[in-house]
Amino acid sequence: MNARAKGIAKFTYKLKSNGAGYLFMLPWMIGFAVFMAFPIGWSLYLTFQKVGLTGTGFKYKYIGLQNFKDALLKDNEFTIQLLVFLQQMIFMIPIIIIFSLCVSILLNQRFPGRFLFRAIFFLPVIFSTGQVLTELFQQGAGDVPFIAQYGIDTYVSDHFSASMAEPILNILGMMILILWSSGVQILIFIAGFQTISNSIYEAVRIDGASPWTSFWKITLPGIKPFIGLNLLYTMVDLFTFPFNPIMEQIKKNMFSITTGYGYASAIAWLYFLLIMILIGLIMLFLNSSNKAGRA
Amino acid sequence: MKTEAVVRRYSRQVRSLVIGRRAQRAKLVVLGQHANEGLLAKAFIYFMLSIIAYLYLQPFFYMISTMLKGLADLLDPTVKWIPRTVDWNNLSRAFDGLKYPRSFFNSLLLAGGGSLLQVFVCAMTGFALARLQFPGKKLFFALVFLTFLIPPQVIMIPLFVTFSKLGWLNTPFVFLVPALFGQGIKSALFIIIFRQFFHSLPKALEEAAMIDGASMFRLFFRIMLPLASSACLVVFLFSFIWYWNESYLTSMFLSNDFTPLSNKLSNLEATIFGDNPSMAVMSQNPVTEGTKMAGAFLIVFPPLVLYMIAQRWFVQGIERTGLVD
Repeated sequence: MNARAKGIAKFTYKLKSNGAGYLFMLPWMIGFAVFMAFPIGWSLYLTFQKVGLTGTGFKYKYIGLQNFKDALLKDNEFTIQLLVFLQQMIFMIPIIIIFSLCVSILLNQRFPGRFLFRAIFFLPVIFSTGQVLTELFQQGAGDVPFIAQYGIDTYVSDHFSASMAEPILNILGMMILILWSSGVQILIFIAGFQTISNSIYEAVRIDGASPWTSFWKITLPGIKPFIGLNLLYTMVDLFTFPFNPIMEQIKKNMFSITTGYGYASAIAWLYFLLIMILIGLIMLFLNSSNKAGRA
Repeated sequence: MKTEAVVRRYSRQVRSLVIGRRAQRAKLVVLGQHANEGLLAKAFIYFMLSIIAYLYLQPFFYMISTMLKGLADLLDPTVKWIPRTVDWNNLSRAFDGLKYPRSFFNSLLLAGGGSLLQVFVCAMTGFALARLQFPGKKLFFALVFLTFLIPPQVIMIPLFVTFSKLGWLNTPFVFLVPALFGQGIKSALFIIIFRQFFHSLPKALEEAAMIDGASMFRLFFRIMLPLASSACLVVFLFSFIWYWNESYLTSMFLSNDFTPLSNKLSNLEATIFGDNPSMAVMSQNPVTEGTKMAGAFLIVFPPLVLYMIAQRWFVQGIERTGLVD
C-alpha cells in the first residue's frame, strides 16, 4: 500500500511539474500539428498524386514520381525559373551580406548622428512590402543611377556571354531593392561587433597592428558566426522576396486545369529541397566556424 | 651683443617647439590617434554614409516625387525630382482606388490582432522552453527552429484547401487563428527571442515565487510577463510590420472581399479605370505612375509613422533582446 501511495504521489508530482511545461507549450503544439505538420504531410502526399476536381470534392490518383518527372523534364518554365532564381540568389546573397557588413562597420564607428544613419538603414524593413517593391521596380526606380551613366550595363553585355549578362543586368536593375532587404542583417552585424571586447583591439594596436590587419585578424573571425546567421536569415527572407518566381509558378499551377494541386506541391517540394541543400551548406559552415572558435 | 644672440636663438627654438606642438595637436585632431578617429576619418565616414544613404533612399524619394507630379510633369523628361506644380490629385485618386478606409481597417485588424496574439503565445512558448522542465524540450525547440526554415510555399496548398473547406478564405481567421496557436508570421523567430530573454533572468526569481506559493501561471503572468515588457514591445512592433507588409499569403488567402492594403496596389488601375480595355493600354503610359506611387505611399505611410514614433525600439530591439548570443 505504502509503496503504491508513494508511486501515485511520485506520478502526480511528475505530472504536475511536467504538466505546467506541456500546458505552456500546448497552444504552440496544437498549432504545430494543425498548421505545420499536417500541411507538410499532406503536401508531401499530394506530390505523388494527380489531383482532379470533381463536383463533390477532390479525386486523387496515385501517379508515383510523375509530377517530379514532369516538373524537371517536361515543364519548360519551372526548371528555367528555378535556375534563374538560383543564379539570382548566388548573386544576391553575397551582395546583401557584404553590403550589410560594410555599412555596419561604418555605423559601428563612434561619431555624432550615427543613430540617424542607423534609423535610415533600417527604414526599408518598414516599408518593403511586395507590391510596392514590384511597382518601384517596374517604374525603374530600383537601379543605381550611375550604372547607365557610366555605361556599366553595356560593359556587362559586351564582356559576358548572354546567359551570364542577363542575370547580372537584372540584378543591377533592382540593386537598391535588393540592398533594401539588408536592414535586419546590418543590425545583427552591429550586435555581433559588440561581442568582441575592446581590450583585444587595444592589445593588437599596442602590438602595432593597423586597423586593416585588425579587421582581418580580429573582427572577421570574431563575427564569423554572425555571417552564418545572416546567411541563414537572408535565405529565409528570400522565400517571400517579391521577385521570387517560384511563388508565381505555384500559384499558376495550382489553379490550372492540366496540372493542379499535386503538380504545384511537387514544384514547392523541389524548391524546398534546393533550399534545404543550401541551408545544409550554411549549417556546415556555421558548425565548422563554431568548432574553430572553441579550439 | 652676445647675450642678445643667445636669447634670440633660444626664443626661436621655443617658438619652433610651440609651433611644432601646435602642429602636432592639429595633426592629432585631423588624423586622430588611430586611423579610425580624427576629423579626416569622420569626414570620410560621413561622406561614405551620406552617399550610400542617398542611393539607399532614392526609390523612396522617387515615390514621393512621382506622387506629387501631375501629368504634364510626368511626361516632361526635364522634370526629375521636383515637380513644377504639386498635384494632389494623385493622392486623392489613390485614396479612392485603394478603398483606403476599409483596407486600412482590414490591415490594422490583421496586423494588430495577429501581433497581440503572437506576442502572448510566443511569450508563453518561449517561457516554457527557457524555464520549465519537461521531457522532449530539446525536440520541441528543434521543431520551432524547423518551422523557421520551412518555406511557406510548401504548406500553402494544404492550408489553402483546409481554409477553403472551413470557409475561412477572405476572412481574418486565416491569419488570426494560426497566430493564436503560435504559427503566425515569423513566430519561430519571436519564440527564440523570448526564449533568450527568459533565459537571461535570474533563477532566484522563480524560486522566491515558488516558495511564496505562487503557481506556475501566477509566476508567468504576474512576474515574468511584466519583466518581459521590453521584449514584448519589440516583438509586437516587428510582428506588426511583418503582418502589415505580408503580401504573398494575403494574395492567396485574402484575394477578394477582405483585402488588406498590401494587396490593393496591383488592382489599383482596374479600380480607377474599370475594365476598359483601351485603358489597359493606357497603363503602359506614365499616366498612372503618379497615382500608383501615391498608392504605394499610402500603403507604407502607417508603418512609417509607427517607425517614427518607436524607432528606438526597432533599432535597439535586436541587440537588447539578445537574439544574437
